[in-house]
Amino acid sequence: MTADVHIKAVEHRFNSFTALHRVDLQIAAGEFIVLLGPSGCGKTTLLSIIGGFLTPSEGQVLIGGRDMTHVAPKDRPTTTMFQDYALFPHMSLRDNVGFGLRMRGVGRAARNAKALEMLEMVGLADKAARRPHELSGGQRQRVALARALAVEPDVLLLDEPLGALDLKLRRQMQEELKAIQRRVGTTFVHVTHDQEEAMAIADRIVVMNHGKVEHCGTPEEVYLRPRTMFSADFMGETNRVPVTPSGSGVNSPLGPLAIAPAKGMLCLRPESLGLAEGFSLGRATLVEAAFYGSYHRCHFRPLAAPDMLLTAHLPQGAHPGFGEEVELFGRNPVVLAPEAA
Amino acid sequence: MRILSWAYLLALFAFILLPVVTLVIFSFQDGRLPVPPFKGATLDWYREILTDRALMEALGNSLIVALLSSLVALVLGFLAASGLARVLLPGTVVMRGLLIAPMTVSYLIIALGLLQMFNKVGIRPSLLATGIGHVVINLPLCFAILYAAIGEHQKSALKAARDLGAKEWQVLWFVAAPMLTPGLAAAFFLAFTFSWDEFIIAFLLTRFDVTLPVEIWSMLRSGLSPATNAVGSLVFLVSVIVVVALELTLFRKGSK
Repeated sequence: MTADVHIKAVEHRFNSFTALHRVDLQIAAGEFIVLLGPSGCGKTTLLSIIGGFLTPSEGQVLIGGRDMTHVAPKDRPTTTMFQDYALFPHMSLRDNVGFGLRMRGVGRAARNAKALEMLEMVGLADKAARRPHELSGGQRQRVALARALAVEPDVLLLDEPLGALDLKLRRQMQEELKAIQRRVGTTFVHVTHDQEEAMAIADRIVVMNHGKVEHCGTPEEVYLRPRTMFSADFMGETNRVPVTPSGSGVNSPLGPLAIAPAKGMLCLRPESLGLAEGFSLGRATLVEAAFYGSYHRCHFRPLAAPDMLLTAHLPQGAHPGFGEEVELFGRNPVVLAPEAA
Repeated sequence: MRILSWAYLLALFAFILLPVVTLVIFSFQDGRLPVPPFKGATLDWYREILTDRALMEALGNSLIVALLSSLVALVLGFLAASGLARVLLPGTVVMRGLLIAPMTVSYLIIALGLLQMFNKVGIRPSLLATGIGHVVINLPLCFAILYAAIGEHQKSALKAARDLGAKEWQVLWFVAAPMLTPGLAAAFFLAFTFSWDEFIIAFLLTRFDVTLPVEIWSMLRSGLSPATNAVGSLVFLVSVIVVVALELTLFRKGSK
């Protein structure tokens, strides 16, 4: 019911456009992987290649150790949860969910029982006789999930399945997806362009850009220790300060900083900036502040570099007055080498 | 203003329906000629045509040809449409054009072409030849209707079916055909009425067994009679039934 996926030097071209540049990726059995990136980064192409809807121009796809590169979707141990759900409008939910089993020659009684069990799992057992058009978007989403899981695939592919849902429903579905994935143990490969969604559900995030893998790691790694400028920016806001090594620390427009010597761009998340703790960033004045509920978003102008603006997220009720001068501190410094930019 | 619009509506309907109404009324004419004045009602002409062996045979032939040719055109059109909708080949545009091309050619030219070709391969003018001719004119129609009916929604459902393990025929039978039911019904009924009314191809490609329009034409050659009106009324009745069937299957679904 689960299998590992091995993508070996997969390259894909559409006419003259190269969508994927020799991508290598190992996905462990039972892992929840999220392919994350802006539109056009190749994440959906990669998903289509795993699902068999596209044959890569070069390279191999191994699922459970078997070469699947040229196997049709219907013969693969994968199923897909499509972006637009792609439910069959002329069938009841029971028949929708049982469709894959019917195609595998499972008898009516057995497949109805399985379909009910799957609908139960997504909380729609009482609507088994309904048609898809009678359901809300979130419910259709669940049916699509139940249908894809009913055939007990080794790998479930999810193509931006939550894109059409509103924020609240999306959060709820993220939690459910994660819980269901833990329960069934199937390998999930999920595509999204929403970095918050990626962090919320992934065991590992694969950040992609221009057909290449930028960074592959746990949400914490990708967010706190990005490997490239692109993944640092894509995962969230960053303050950038160019640094050069100097003695046991670094030199910067803000003055000398007490971090490990390195040359490149110092990246600091807004929440890593504070009024205490960590290494000093020198004194700065508050020029703007806005209350965002769980934090204050503040812009500071460093005294040493008045043309720079640092963004900090400060805890509730903790921000200084406008024009007030304070000492800023940073935590979790990441210095990216210039060539990584 | 309101009265004017109603008057316009009535005039419009009168313009469209008057010829047919006249035809039907004078099919009941108690006299030798289907022209005014109306001399009283009789069912004699209907009795005459319903006992006319040749006419009834032609009616049966027409039904069979219309039914079979539109079924064949429907199946071929459906397969072509779902095939071309599924893959994007370099020649897709050309193939689509070629499939629709016969629609732009006059029936006379198609009939002439078929006549010459059938001569070459040894198919005699017959109902079969006419049926093939009707498939030729109706296939583009069926293809165009069904191709237009396959939207993104259908395409992704077909993709999902394949993903869930359906073989190609299962995709067509369990998913594509049921999802396209309105389009299939529209294409079938239109093809049926076109074949049912078609004269030129049937005229050139039949000899001993003929279809109803051809039989009516030979009746007309011996002059006007309320009997031809009666036949015309029957043909009209069949067309009305088809249109009503179309309304019930297609548009009721559409309004849901």
